[in-house]
Amino acid sequence: MNNQTNTISKEINESDFVFEKASFFSKIFNIKTVLNTVSILSLFVIWGLLVHFGIYRFVLIPGPAEVLEWGIDWMGSKDFWIDASLSTLRVLGGFTFACLIAIPTGLMIGWNKVFSDLTFPTLEILRPIPGIAYIPLAILFFPWEEASVAFICFVGAFFPILLNTITGVRMIDRDFFRAALCLGSKPKHIFWHIVVPGALPSISTGAALGMGIAWMAVVAGEMISGKWGLGYRIWEAYTLIRYPLIVDGMIVIGLLGLCSSVIIRYITLLLIPWRKAITESLDESITK
Amino acid sequence: MSTSELNKSFHFWKQVRRKVVNWTTLRRIMSIVLFLMAWSILVQFTGHFQQIPKPLAVFHALFQLEPGVIFTEILRSFLRVLGGFLIGLLIGFPLGVAIGYSRIANYLFFPAVEMVRPIPPIAWIPLTVLFFIEIESQIVFLTFYGAFFPIVYNTMGGISEVDIRLPRAAMSFGINRMGMLWKIILPAAMPQIFTGMKVAIGITWLMVVAAEMIASKGGLGYWVWHHHTLMEYPMVILGMGIIGLCGALCSLGIDAVGNHFMKWRNIF
Repeated sequence: MNNQTNTISKEINESDFVFEKASFFSKIFNIKTVLNTVSILSLFVIWGLLVHFGIYRFVLIPGPAEVLEWGIDWMGSKDFWIDASLSTLRVLGGFTFACLIAIPTGLMIGWNKVFSDLTFPTLEILRPIPGIAYIPLAILFFPWEEASVAFICFVGAFFPILLNTITGVRMIDRDFFRAALCLGSKPKHIFWHIVVPGALPSISTGAALGMGIAWMAVVAGEMISGKWGLGYRIWEAYTLIRYPLIVDGMIVIGLLGLCSSVIIRYITLLLIPWRKAITESLDESITK
Repeated sequence: MSTSELNKSFHFWKQVRRKVVNWTTLRRIMSIVLFLMAWSILVQFTGHFQQIPKPLAVFHALFQLEPGVIFTEILRSFLRVLGGFLIGLLIGFPLGVAIGYSRIANYLFFPAVEMVRPIPPIAWIPLTVLFFIEIESQIVFLTFYGAFFPIVYNTMGGISEVDIRLPRAAMSFGINRMGMLWKIILPAAMPQIFTGMKVAIGITWLMVVAAEMIASKGGLGYWVWHHHTLMEYPMVILGMGIIGLCGALCSLGIDAVGNHFMKWRNIF
């Protein structure tokens, strides 16, 4: 018995030693990084193989090498920068307006019962109509094309931000309000010191969601009624049989969307420093 | 009828009246009335809004609808939405569970999913048109793609946010790995999974409208676009309303299914 435990402890000691010695390699070649690289590489390899062997209708789809070649060409031209900046500006315009209107409205709806009764039913009726269904009306209403595309982004971003703001305010612990009232604060103070900061984390979630939908809306708007912009460009690439350009456009749209959501995350981390610890632990739990 | 019974029924009606006829309901009705009034006044008196039809015109358009035509369009859109959503659920839900529950699956699938996700579904339209021959399968693929990522991400997030005390308690009672998944993790993650499904069905409706506007082969999106080209704007607004109604119905349906699966929620 004694002998057995001895051997076990010895083994453990040895393995500890080995682990320490290989720590540098194990940091790089552990199962996580290996599988992650396999995952990303296999995405491109499967794509390349499917195109190379022309399975089903993959003959028509451009391969990775072609896409890269066309992409470098396109990045060098002036069109690319005009398209990208115009799409970004449209998204930003619609998104900013959505934030400016949705956040105050949401705060008031969440905070004030009378205001909520007066506005929320109407908004609830308008909410299920997807932003893209507004395209005909936007074309009709706005004589200026830029405004109509930005308006579709606005509609897309508006409701996620509004609903998240409302739930954010309603999730605030009632005790905060009671404590503030006890300490003799006026509605003004309650609004600025409890309602606004309490709803901020939820608002940031809503803003990130709204940004994603705004990017979707801008692509749709440009495809249907546009002269410039990334959405228009990929549709034009389809009609002019420049198929690799479609994939390039998709990648650029994806990257810009990703960048904007990262920026929103960063800004909200700056605004809500007390939330940082929580979100970080959440990120870890998701990625692990 | 005895007086006590009369009293009881009187009391009951009083309670009903108190719940239905009060300031809140009045204000809620006022909200919609004010909206309609603002709409008509804006259309009537400002030059810029003049092209937008009035609420009354939209109401009149309701009676000009041909029930047969509109119901086939609604059915078409519904089938496309349901097809894409169900395929998304069939693929997305197991994938989300695998990524959330197994570390190896997470390492193997998550980076690939994360790389494709930022591309919005609408940007896939040209490639889809190129790849699929039939318009139906194009639209169903697009709706599938719209539904896929919200389902995967919310399933995964719901699983990773389960209170760690629940699995620990189950473990101390000697549960096996499958039992842990089916009896502890999935029920605990259920609320967020259903949230994901609600988001997914919203995006599915958005996708179906966009795809139908471009593909022009029937459906509500095409119907709206068709009336836009005919300059029948009351019909356009009516179509938007019908699309909204269908979306709201779908989301209510998911709520109902969710309540059926999460009866334990009512206990607490």
